[in-house]
Amino acid sequence: MNSLPELGTRPVLEARGLTMRFGSFCALDSADFSLYPGRALALVGESGSGKSTCAKLLTHVLTASAGHIFHAGRDVTNLTGRKAVLEYRSAVQMVFQDPFAALNPAHTVDHHLTRPLALHRPDLSSAQRREAVADLLRAVDLDPAITLRKYPHEMSGGQRQRVNLARALAVNPSVVIADEPTSMLDVSIRLSVLDTFRDLKRERGIAMLYITHDIATARYVAEETAVIFRGRIVERGPTAQVIDTPRHPYTRLLLAAVPEVGSPFGEGNSLAPLAAQVRESCEGPAELTEVSPGHWVRLARA
Amino acid sequence: MTEPILSVRDLCVDYATPNGLTRAVKNVTFDIAAGEVLGLAGESGSGKSTVAFAIARLHRPPAFITGGSINLAGTDVLALNDRELRAWRWRDLSVVLQSAMNALNPVLRVSAQFADMFKAHGVSGKADIRARTADLLQMVGIQPERMDDYPHQFSGGMRQRIVIAMALALRPKLVVMDEPTTALDVVVQRELLEEVAALRHKLGFSVLFITHDLALMSQFCDRVGVMLRGELIELSTPSAMIADPQQDYTRRLWASIPPLHPRPGETLVRMKETPQ
Repeated sequence: MNSLPELGTRPVLEARGLTMRFGSFCALDSADFSLYPGRALALVGESGSGKSTCAKLLTHVLTASAGHIFHAGRDVTNLTGRKAVLEYRSAVQMVFQDPFAALNPAHTVDHHLTRPLALHRPDLSSAQRREAVADLLRAVDLDPAITLRKYPHEMSGGQRQRVNLARALAVNPSVVIADEPTSMLDVSIRLSVLDTFRDLKRERGIAMLYITHDIATARYVAEETAVIFRGRIVERGPTAQVIDTPRHPYTRLLLAAVPEVGSPFGEGNSLAPLAAQVRESCEGPAELTEVSPGHWVRLARA
Repeated sequence: MTEPILSVRDLCVDYATPNGLTRAVKNVTFDIAAGEVLGLAGESGSGKSTVAFAIARLHRPPAFITGGSINLAGTDVLALNDRELRAWRWRDLSVVLQSAMNALNPVLRVSAQFADMFKAHGVSGKADIRARTADLLQMVGIQPERMDDYPHQFSGGMRQRIVIAMALALRPKLVVMDEPTTALDVVVQRELLEEVAALRHKLGFSVLFITHDLALMSQFCDRVGVMLRGELIELSTPSAMIADPQQDYTRRLWASIPPLHPRPGETLVRMKETPQ
């Protein structure tokens, strides 16, 4: 196990040696990370790298093959009983990739937000509940007067994703897991949606896991970034360091593949040879090494 | 520029709604040269996909082409009847969609799906079809030995390669690609588009590339167009458009791309979605 950067606060959610096997296939291999209040960790990797498996383990959709999950210091790896699972799930909320599929097309925004409040905060009067719904919408930069009566199909993808975030916040979670929350949105509006995630996380002291294949956006939401490749975290550290001084070949490949304005294809910058080389070189045993304070890289054993 | 292979003139597409007609594409005019890759960018609802669908005559009611002309290699596309259209599609123009990898029939072997397509276009002879399928798969970097596998045995990126191989099978003059890599991750996206870029040099087809990702478009396309509320508001080379955007909207669109390495003091534009 590796020591973690001291941040002065205790982590809300911790994964220790978290492992998920499907038959002989290891989807997630001994993942260690911690989520802290008011901070975000970006988990970056390609399709099939294990990042969504990680989300499913943390939300108890899947049960880990090995390793532990701690929530507020308590081991929650094997929750038993409906009550314990429900309690855990209201503390650890999820925002999904597809803003279209995550909302019920037959219900208004008002219904989507009122229902979790009615279930999880039965103490509120109906007037207080109405006020709480309006507050949630304002928190995600939507105008309650316009939005409340709308059905999902009357809103754009970005607006729907804001509603999904508001729905997650309705139950006052301590952790929000956002699985590719902007990958189905236009590039042009991603930043404004991510700003909302970032601001709310800070204001409400929420610990966030931001799962993405778009490493360019990590900088705008997450203080820390972990790069995952074939089920293993290969590099982890402060986001700016990981992006500006990447140490692992896969991190470099990922960065090189990010579309960049004004560098046309061809002209000797083909990525395919590098990609093939990296995929080959990442086989075999390797261990995490601290290359600078808080910046860990999994390097092949010499 | 060489003689255009595709000429779109004053194209108008309307959607019939309960409140009358809504114009989704307004007098759009552009050309694509032989071998050229032209990108159309814009936000959701800007009309870019409607243009692509109209060119392929894939639009369905409530969408109607209400004006203008489309000419591909001498063919008046809007004048084709259903029978002519079936022969023309895939032979002269093919289409690769965002979720094209899901367009493969999950219960048919890949080879059977190539055979269907070849037979529909008058290619017969089992051996000939298998040989041509093998060549096409090889061309997009899929081992020909895998032609008898089922779609689920391939990754998303590989399935998208198979669809591209199928789109190139009859040597079309124009391939319309509507967000072909949006569902793929960045490394696979880059590898796939590099391959398409190399193939178009080799085979000489033209591409109409639809995307919301301006940065990607600037890397892949010879010329780029920006659409806003149904209008093509700007059209030029990527370098010219980056250096000197003619429209305020275009400038803001470029400035909204989150850069990997932001320069100190650089101001990024936070765009709100354009009201439809």
